[in-house]
Amino acid sequence: MIVCVAVVGHQNNPLYIQSFTEADDALKLHHIVHCSLDVVDERVNNPKKSGPMLNETFLGLLYPTENYKVYGYLTNTKVKFILVTTDLDVRDADVRNFFGRFHAAYVDAVSNPFHVPGKKITSRTFAERVSNIVKSFGLSSAG
Amino acid sequence: MAPVAPRSGDAIFANVERVNAELFTLTYGAIVRQLLTDLEEVEEVNKQLDQMGYNIGIRLIDEFLAKSNVSSCVDFRETAEVIAKVGLKMFLGVTASVTNWDADGTCCSLILEDNPLVDFVELPDTCQGLYYCNILSGVIRGALEMVSMKTEVTWVRDMLRGDDAFELQVKLLKQVPEEYPYKDDE
Repeated sequence: MIVCVAVVGHQNNPLYIQSFTEADDALKLHHIVHCSLDVVDERVNNPKKSGPMLNETFLGLLYPTENYKVYGYLTNTKVKFILVTTDLDVRDADVRNFFGRFHAAYVDAVSNPFHVPGKKITSRTFAERVSNIVKSFGLSSAG
Repeated sequence: MAPVAPRSGDAIFANVERVNAELFTLTYGAIVRQLLTDLEEVEEVNKQLDQMGYNIGIRLIDEFLAKSNVSSCVDFRETAEVIAKVGLKMFLGVTASVTNWDADGTCCSLILEDNPLVDFVELPDTCQGLYYCNILSGVIRGALEMVSMKTEVTWVRDMLRGDDAFELQVKLLKQVPEEYPYKDDE
């Protein structure tokens, strides 16, 4: 089950944070997202493979902590998407699929002429689409 | 003549040069944003968009008549149909439907289900009075004025404000007969 998604700008400023569970402490989730940014920077600055990595966007599992798993995705404009989930067995393909759709929703939200790049995303359509993507992620990985 | 118009709208659209829809949408969005920054007042921006549309319309009508080869419309009903099916299709790539005719046949509504100008757009709370597509009302008003019809075009429904479609009300105020610029004694 996805507990939290976040969009972080290229200066590590938060653009959008949404938690999907009331049970856990929102502050703890924000803290996890914040810590995972360090891992993202580390991965970006020290690429492990020297060969051409075509899909540099998907960073994969950043680090497992307690009962959460954190996945990262980096766009070419250095905007990061962070996904925090409590699922124990999550397929790589599902997460990639999730981030693909999330990226599409993000691009549509940013294309709004009234959106100021670098400011928080206030689009209600974006929030709805993200909720839908999160809901269908749960279904596809359960099936 | 009316049955010919719907088909020729698609045919003309296939033959004119086209531009990428996203480029068009983003450019229009940038224009509106810049107007808001420069003028700051939502009412002023509405007026300016209408004026810009008017300037486009008075020039666009010639291109429309040249490319589409429609003959003179017999009455205002036909005019509205031609605008909705041929004109909008040719320039925006979408057709509108014409409804809500009043008793005299001088006032109707053009309903657009789909509008390429507003893709990705969400109005922020500070701009709630803004008619984002006001340029369209100016274009129609300008174009009709060049063919001797004075009209008033207003927005009835706007999807950016929560309605389910875009509805433009076009009201014919009067038909202005051709005026010759030459006076008799010159």
